[in-house]
Amino acid sequence: MRPVPIDRERALPTQANDPAAQDQQGSALAIETHGLTKRFGERTALDGIDLRVPRASAFGFLGPNGAGKTTIIRTLLGLTSANSGTMEVLGHPMPLERAQALQRVGAIVEEPRFHMHLTGRENLRLIAAVRGPEVHERIAPALARVGLSERAGEKVKSYSMGMRQRLGVARCLLADPLLLILDEPTNGLDPGGIQEFREMIRAMVEQEGRTVFISSHLLDEVERTCDAAAIVDRGKIITQGTIAELAGGGVARHELILGVDDVARALGTLGASELVLESHRSDEGIRVVLAGAGGAESAARVNALLVGAGVGVARLEPVRQSLEQRFLEITTRLDATPEEVEA
Amino acid sequence: MSTAIAWQMTSVDFLKLRKRRGMMIWSFLLAVAPVLIYFLVSAIQHSSNPGRYGPAGGTHNFTDGLRVIALFFGPLAAVLIGVEAGTGDASAGVFRDLVVTGRSRLALFATRVPAALALCCTMIGVAYGLLIVGTYAFASNLPTPGLSLVFNGLGFALLATGVVCVVAVGFAALTTSKPAAIIALIAWQIVASPLIANIESLGSARAGVLSQALGHFSPVHVEGRRGEIVTMSQGTAILVTLAWLAVFLGLGAWRTRKMDA
Repeated sequence: MRPVPIDRERALPTQANDPAAQDQQGSALAIETHGLTKRFGERTALDGIDLRVPRASAFGFLGPNGAGKTTIIRTLLGLTSANSGTMEVLGHPMPLERAQALQRVGAIVEEPRFHMHLTGRENLRLIAAVRGPEVHERIAPALARVGLSERAGEKVKSYSMGMRQRLGVARCLLADPLLLILDEPTNGLDPGGIQEFREMIRAMVEQEGRTVFISSHLLDEVERTCDAAAIVDRGKIITQGTIAELAGGGVARHELILGVDDVARALGTLGASELVLESHRSDEGIRVVLAGAGGAESAARVNALLVGAGVGVARLEPVRQSLEQRFLEITTRLDATPEEVEA
Repeated sequence: MSTAIAWQMTSVDFLKLRKRRGMMIWSFLLAVAPVLIYFLVSAIQHSSNPGRYGPAGGTHNFTDGLRVIALFFGPLAAVLIGVEAGTGDASAGVFRDLVVTGRSRLALFATRVPAALALCCTMIGVAYGLLIVGTYAFASNLPTPGLSLVFNGLGFALLATGVVCVVAVGFAALTTSKPAAIIALIAWQIVASPLIANIESLGSARAGVLSQALGHFSPVHVEGRRGEIVTMSQGTAILVTLAWLAVFLGLGAWRTRKMDA
């Protein structure tokens, strides 16, 4: 069954975007780890992880299956202990100030699990009872927020996967979280559900000032939803930064694809211009890497340059840097032998 | 943790248990059905052959019924309830969500105990109510237990089953496996305990068997087959009972605190 649309009009009462509430929590970072290491016997699941997740952002934690995504989430939440390293959640050192740190954290680890023999509302009551008496009044708004008010009286075993994901989010919202940690949150959702979920995440970040930490192996999902990301593989963070930085290989790259009537003259003109860092033929036409900040203005200047040189421009298309390309570059490099990398 | 939060957590733990339909049905059957069957069979026997079979009620049958509730079938119901309380969150995969709230794991463990006890006492209370009704209704010309014995009997039934229930909570939290905990505890209760109690060469070591210690709190003589009740002082019985509670509550709390959620 298709998930019910999110009801944004009935948003939760929140303190997430209240600066005073954030000040009380201290750090400007929602999550900060240094040298975090976790071993399972001989296997090193996390190998010296240094992670910095800014507040009020959607942060993707991207990596292939088995890279260590769930392990770092479990470690951050105190579900398992680290072997070495330090970590802070919302400015509180973990596990020293675990209770204070987790007071304003909502999390779904792996998949949302519930007591199937209880209703959706009863499952939220369980968590509300554990969190404190004031949390009970958040149950109805949380259910409304995820569009489950009308089905809240039904047993969870009758819920679809999408509804369980939504109920999991509602359970997170009971904490009025400054930080939401979601492990593969779109698993099992249909395309409509994914779109609605994405919109909900963006609203939480942009309208309510919450921080959302999303682990995923879905590159496209992270690229569409997150402001920044870290790429993790084999227990190590390979790189982290904004999505544009990651896609551009550390700096934001701005590229154009050009279709022209005289390729040789166009390449000559572009090669002599300070506007262009690099230009070459490609299957799609001429691929141009711009020297400046990019954007529509740079594209217009390149167009004017070519037209001025007597080159007819049939096509001028900005290239959207793909996180997937960058991810594949990184993981391909990791898979390569040292000799291949040198070559 | 404030009293209000502890009360709320216990309330929802009780909710989780009472909504577990399968467990409720089985534990209710184990607690109540034997009493009903006992009176039904005794009443039928008495009506078919009054010369050979006495009335189904009275003090004698109250004693047998109390033994059934407190030492045989009641503990089995208590095991089902205790195991469900001890493993419910972990087996549903919800334990990690409770831990993520930041609430102490010991608090999460501790509130299961009164919830399980509340349900166990309710079940045993209903069964004991039936026993009292049957005892008086079918007494005919036989003597009936006085008020003091009725209350002492209730206390004994609740104590004997409640201790088993609490031990089951701790043991189940230790194993984290519902089937394994149920099989092990029921096997201990109905096979191993009587067997050990009957091995006379074990001597006073048999006093360590929980059901033997609990039997000493009975307000009526509950001795069954030869050697089934091990001789021990009231003090020893109290110490053995407390030791069982302390060990299994301690192990359950330790496991809940240490395990990966």
